[in-house]
Amino acid sequence: MAKQRFFFGVLVVVGAIGYLIYTGIRETSNYYLTIEEFLPQKDAFANEGIRLAGRVQTGSVQWDPKDVQLSFMLGPFEAKEQLDTLPGLRVNYQGILPDMFAEGRDVIVEGKYENGQSLIAKTIMTRCPSKYEPEKPETQAKATNP
Amino acid sequence: MTHLGALALHLAFILAIYAVVTSLWGASRSRRNWIASGVQAAYAVFLCVTVAVIALLHALITKDFNVEYVSSYSSSTLPLQYTIAALWGGQKGSLLFWTFLLTLFSTLVHLQNRDKNRELMPYVTATLMVIALFFLGLLFFITPPFERLSFTPQEGSDLNPLLQNYWMTIHPPALYLGYVSASVPFAFAMAALATGKLGDVWIRTTRRWALISWFFLSAGNILGGRWAYEVLGWGGYWAWDPVENAAIIPWFTATAYLHSVMIQEKKNMLKIWNMALVILTFSLTIFGTFLTRSGVISSVHSFTQSGLGPYFMTFLILELCVALGLLFYRLPELKSENELDSLFSREAAFLLNNWVFVGLAFATFWGTVFPVLSEWVRGVKITVGSPFFNKVNGPLGIVLLLLTGIGPIIAWRRASVKSLRRNFTAPVLIGALTGTLFFALGYRNYYAIVIFSLSGFVLGTIVMEFFRGTRARQAMLQESPPQALRRLVSKNPRRYGGYVVHLGIVLIFIGIAGSSFFKIEKQISLQPGESVEAGRYSLTYTGIHNREDEHISSQVAQVNVFLDDQLIDTMRPEKRLYKRQQQPTTEVALRPTLRDDLYLVLGAYDEASGFATFQIFVNPLQSWLWIGGILLVCGACITMMPTPAERHAFALARSQEDAAHETVTN
Repeated sequence: MAKQRFFFGVLVVVGAIGYLIYTGIRETSNYYLTIEEFLPQKDAFANEGIRLAGRVQTGSVQWDPKDVQLSFMLGPFEAKEQLDTLPGLRVNYQGILPDMFAEGRDVIVEGKYENGQSLIAKTIMTRCPSKYEPEKPETQAKATNP
Repeated sequence: MTHLGALALHLAFILAIYAVVTSLWGASRSRRNWIASGVQAAYAVFLCVTVAVIALLHALITKDFNVEYVSSYSSSTLPLQYTIAALWGGQKGSLLFWTFLLTLFSTLVHLQNRDKNRELMPYVTATLMVIALFFLGLLFFITPPFERLSFTPQEGSDLNPLLQNYWMTIHPPALYLGYVSASVPFAFAMAALATGKLGDVWIRTTRRWALISWFFLSAGNILGGRWAYEVLGWGGYWAWDPVENAAIIPWFTATAYLHSVMIQEKKNMLKIWNMALVILTFSLTIFGTFLTRSGVISSVHSFTQSGLGPYFMTFLILELCVALGLLFYRLPELKSENELDSLFSREAAFLLNNWVFVGLAFATFWGTVFPVLSEWVRGVKITVGSPFFNKVNGPLGIVLLLLTGIGPIIAWRRASVKSLRRNFTAPVLIGALTGTLFFALGYRNYYAIVIFSLSGFVLGTIVMEFFRGTRARQAMLQESPPQALRRLVSKNPRRYGGYVVHLGIVLIFIGIAGSSFFKIEKQISLQPGESVEAGRYSLTYTGIHNREDEHISSQVAQVNVFLDDQLIDTMRPEKRLYKRQQQPTTEVALRPTLRDDLYLVLGAYDEASGFATFQIFVNPLQSWLWIGGILLVCGACITMMPTPAERHAFALARSQEDAAHETVTN
């Protein structure tokens, strides 16, 4: 008898946790794409929550310090020189600039792709230099064992 | 020095192999001298690794930029304390530091068990040395820390500015200590499984180690939160970032184990479960290290992809195979002798606590690896962020808070209605009153009201327990109240230390509820002389100036803080530029009080327009989270104090030793 009730209890707990995880993922998940993957199929994500990785295009950053508004074009990682001619996505963001934000930097933006026009970003994360491992200059590449 | 360090690592690698082979061989052939030789080798491994650590520290302090590690993680202008912290600031150094701590613990374990646990110890030695061997192997083959460059750079590229903070100097060591000490209970579990000595001996020997591990894991997580709060400048302390999750998941399972082990001690139940939790906790520490170093999951503050991932994964899989294989092999011997009697019993409450903790661990794990899983299964990367974790872990946390009140005082076996009424009437009333009070004051955030009511309830139970215990001693032994309280705790440090930990947990919940549900956040650009309201404060921006030294150049804004039209403080948030890395960072200005924290970030300064952009946070009850954290680690210290029985046994052993010594000298 006690054993049956025990298993019933376990079932309830496992069920509850499973339910929480299931609904949690359904309601809060975001698609994570690079900008190259996103652009060809962008219409599929209209009004969806997405997280995009890309590079801030040179010359595209507009910062309005008075209203704390940031706007820039998110473009692909490659082909630095032709950045201006490549298609990108306009990102609008209300808030202060992250420390590492600058033109030509790799960023991850999270937000909603609204009306098939621009991405209204909730968060902007800057990527590369915040890692512990520094990039090795080419001259340092030849390391020798002691 | 670096040659010596490299040599010491080579030697340690060979000695660790020797230690594994001789202990296992000696155990299987019952050769005392082989086993003893294995232990000596384990000591020697520790010595060698210590030499290597000293060598790397020496290179860092003497600024030997020819060493690749030194030039990558320090600079000539880096202050001394951060130069030392650079030892664990980078991949290679942190692996070396990890190995050092592991061998240090191995040494302590061997010293502690010199004349004890004869059958278990060879397997403990072997397990610890296999783990050490894995890390030494990485240091030996993959990431040699003493690698030299073909030329000597003039200057190093400096430690990451985010790590140049005093919290960061103590947070990683604390976390590493927690991670690494989890391998001691694991080693004893392996030894128990290997020898079939599955009684209470290994549990008793490792209980304190489990507490030590838990203590450091807790401290590491709290310090990490504090670091994030002060340094990252987003107004919060916990973002459910993969790296943070990697540290909290083993904490969940370790906490579960600390509770379920009591059921094994008292009722001889849950033996398999406990074994599984020990194995799981250790595996999760390895998984956590894997997560932070492999680059499999992108995180704001992880090490870059370093090719270490496959090695960690292989080690993890092998370890799980061996551990679970042994567990499966011993399964028949681990069957429980007792069963659960009633759902209204302490056993049931503890069981539920365990399920919820493991549920928390699982949910957090699931959310963390979900991007990888979804890419495998569906071909698209789907991420979940803090909303997911808050949504799932929030309700589970509330169940745990409720259990914090119920578990320690509900009767064993089967609680009668009478005992339930006697134990719970007062605390339930306190909880209900708290809730009603908040409702009457006009609060309508039900999530918060539930947390505050439950906090009231749990506080009620804890106070009642202390009160009852103290009063009983006063009545029976005629002790004064402070004396009675002190003796009460020292007679039963585990129980009352546990209550102090629970008290800390309640305060942490209060801090979390206050700062997440009633946070005020503002972003605004101001000209000098302009003001803004934030909660009960009024802020006036008065101006900005530059400050320079050889290491940092910064812009310092000056903000006057008014409360009820009284000038109470002047805060100075900064924007810093660390010259070596040319990386701008924010230096938060913080004004903590017990009621709320005023948290000020200088976002940007636009010289052309004269606008300074601020981010302002008012975080109510935030301080209680840190106070709770301090109480929690203090409580953990109390639980580790020896019980009167242990003190007595120790004194007895001591006097016998002295007596023996005297007979010899006489």
